Amino acid sequence: MTHPAKAVPLHPGLPGAARGGTLALWAERRIGWLLVTPAVALIVALSIYPLLYSLWVSFVNYDFLVPGHAFVGLRNFAQIIADPIARSALVTTAVLCVLDVGIEFGLGLALALAMERPFRGRGLITSILIIPLFISPVIVGQFFALMLQRPFGPTDYLLGLVLGHPVTIDWLSGFPWNFAALVAADVWQWTPFMFVILLAGLSAIPPEPYEAAQIDGVNPWQGFRYVVWPQLTPMILLAITFRLLDAVKLFDVIFMMTGGGPGTSTYTASFYLYEMGFQHFHLSEATAGSWIFLLLTAVIVGFLVRRLLRAEAV
Amino acid sequence: MADPFDRDDPALSRELDAWLRGDHSRRSVLRQMLIAGGTAGLGGTLGATLGARVAEAAVELASPDTPLGRVQAAAVKASTTGPTDGSAYRAVQAAKNFKGVTLGMTYEAGLQALEPRNFSGPLWQQLTGMNYNVVELSHPDQYAKPIAEHIAQSGAYDILDIEPDWIPSLADGGVIAPIDDYVAKHMNKADLEDYHPLFKFLPTYKGKRWGFFDDGDQWALYYRTDVFGDSKLQAAYKAKYKRDLRVPTTWDEYVETAQFITDQMAPKVYGAVHFPKAGSPGNQFAFLQQFRSNGGTFFDDKMRAQLASDAGVTTLNQMKAAYKASVPGNNDFDAVAAWVAWLQGKAAMLYSWPPTGRMSENYSQRDKAINFIPHSSVAGKVGYAVMPGGNGEMASGYVKALASDSANAEAAYLFMQWVTSPPVSLVRVMLPYTLRDPYRMSHYNSPDYRALWPAAKDYLSTLCEAANSGVVDIVMPGSQDYSLSLDQMCTAVWAGADPHAALTKAANEWNATTDKIGVDAQRTAYEQFKKLPGCYADHTIAKMGLAAHASA
Repeated sequence: MTHPAKAVPLHPGLPGAARGGTLALWAERRIGWLLVTPAVALIVALSIYPLLYSLWVSFVNYDFLVPGHAFVGLRNFAQIIADPIARSALVTTAVLCVLDVGIEFGLGLALALAMERPFRGRGLITSILIIPLFISPVIVGQFFALMLQRPFGPTDYLLGLVLGHPVTIDWLSGFPWNFAALVAADVWQWTPFMFVILLAGLSAIPPEPYEAAQIDGVNPWQGFRYVVWPQLTPMILLAITFRLLDAVKLFDVIFMMTGGGPGTSTYTASFYLYEMGFQHFHLSEATAGSWIFLLLTAVIVGFLVRRLLRAEAV
Repeated sequence: MADPFDRDDPALSRELDAWLRGDHSRRSVLRQMLIAGGTAGLGGTLGATLGARVAEAAVELASPDTPLGRVQAAAVKASTTGPTDGSAYRAVQAAKNFKGVTLGMTYEAGLQALEPRNFSGPLWQQLTGMNYNVVELSHPDQYAKPIAEHIAQSGAYDILDIEPDWIPSLADGGVIAPIDDYVAKHMNKADLEDYHPLFKFLPTYKGKRWGFFDDGDQWALYYRTDVFGDSKLQAAYKAKYKRDLRVPTTWDEYVETAQFITDQMAPKVYGAVHFPKAGSPGNQFAFLQQFRSNGGTFFDDKMRAQLASDAGVTTLNQMKAAYKASVPGNNDFDAVAAWVAWLQGKAAMLYSWPPTGRMSENYSQRDKAINFIPHSSVAGKVGYAVMPGGNGEMASGYVKALASDSANAEAAYLFMQWVTSPPVSLVRVMLPYTLRDPYRMSHYNSPDYRALWPAAKDYLSTLCEAANSGVVDIVMPGSQDYSLSLDQMCTAVWAGADPHAALTKAANEWNATTDKIGVDAQRTAYEQFKKLPGCYADHTIAKMGLAAHASA
């Protein structure tokens, strides 16, 4: 004969056993929440709170030179939108982004294609090519400034030797050379990033489709256009998205090479906001500008991410 | 815990007296100081503290038979034995009550910061038992970081090295505190009177004193005596202009002379070199001095900017013409690049800060810290003059200011009083590497400073005279914004922008800054500024009848 099952206390002799069991049960049910609580607290403290605080700052007066924090509505946003330097900085940012990322993509792709097939010394050359990635952008900026500064930098002298006549280009203060210099510095540093990602993408493409296409008689360009490119597209979008996210924040090389000059012609959005916020402490305007810049960037990046997801789905 | 620089310590006292007499080597005194520091550290609780103290205890002292060694000995003596009514002695005695306190002090990163690391910091530590923490900041951050720390109420800094023109903003913003009460309590007022009059008044604002002036950044003209004394050049000049070649006294003459020398001597020597690179900083100072020499005023009665005037256009055109006559690449030069070109003998004229004179004679380069500056090829061939137009910019300078959030305000004040006192500050303006420049009459008249190189007396006299006719930066709230607009305006013009259009744009930016701060508040500040000696060319120390002259 069997007896019906009966609930037995875990530790019947101990007076707190029932309470302990309840506690354990409570903890078990909420263990997930308990585990994520520290992370959530950190995110709230370090991200959400500052974000909300910055939103508040952008709607009040928060300026070192003007006492008090009076509510000013959208005035800070309006002042940024009306500021011709802000608009020019935005245009400069866009121009430099397009030039930087475009050239880096072209060179990175060319390098990746050149390095795709194994050859003697490939590992060494790849290692050398990616060295610029490990250098701080501030150092890169200073390096290029020293190379290009007249008359001590060697660039004009070397160009003069090559061209056979004296070269007197103001690389850091003359338009359009200052833009060329900034692009050169950025391209030198970040082309390896494109190269590494695209090389990884190329290496992941299975050889069979290309071999089949070759049997069908396609030439190298057609093979690249119709076989490699479609399969490489997700990686291309990924690389461009990542680089674009970084390029819109361009600051270090501007700071080191041109200081935003001549005039404000090489102010980027980041440099403008830095000057506004951390050199002159017009914090509310700088914060409003940051929100505007964030929204504009979010639109572009959102578009790219959607394209990326679509490409991956295909 | 033993006083680390206790005059009652017989061994140390003997060593110090011997060094003051010049009997002992610098090394032996240093060693004794280190031992004293180490002994003091042993009284502490942590080995790490000992290590830090010993590491920070190295005072760099020159040989006592050199001019620098002699003034160092005098500074130590003034701090330890008096005269007992001297500000240095008083500060040290009062500071012993704060033994163990650590002072956070901001300094410009690099050469300027070497001075408190190598000299005043460790010596103060030895004299008082107080500790110090030198916070090195880039020049713009010397303005920005104290504000950020004040907003955060961190109390990170006790003593701030700031530009005089930042005083109104920092005082109104509550970042710095007035020191009048401490001056009354601790200072010998005669030491205030020892300041050159221009520098005595500069740290005052709204009737209060906001620090001690501590760096005489008075611009003067440095020129090559061998070029101006060249007989062939003189003859050619006379043939062309029907008058003698001379050091220019007006801005038009400066441009003309620079272009003439370039035409005659380039590429070996060019007429001049400048440093107009964006943010170097040079543009706002150069514009401000020349604009006022040309009769320009900053604001009208309604506080509208008056930059876009004939004086403004004339100034920019003169500057452009001078840069055209300069060393190739001039527009990319910062101050260091201009110095390099000058020291290499590539230019006949340079107007700049006072270290130019010391570097020209290779005095600065004797220290390894500044060996990135090339050896001078123009030593013994440099003359000194007040600026063309007569009004040289007192370009920046430094004031030692008391941070309002300091938890050790009195202790911090005492360091400020001691370090800027006549005997101690004389050492600091004579250290080869610090870029800290003479500002007291006792500096200009110091026999030891005058003995540093054959023409040092002329150098010091010229700096004194330049301060008599000098003009100061815009000492008003918003000076940072006004200066940035000028820098941007200038670099835009160097890159080809129309001067009048650039001046109009800058004026609009000035008006926006004024409106933002408040027109009435700025009008009050401007009225205050206009009372300051050196505000305009017709209101200099000399024009006010307050000129002070170095002794013959």
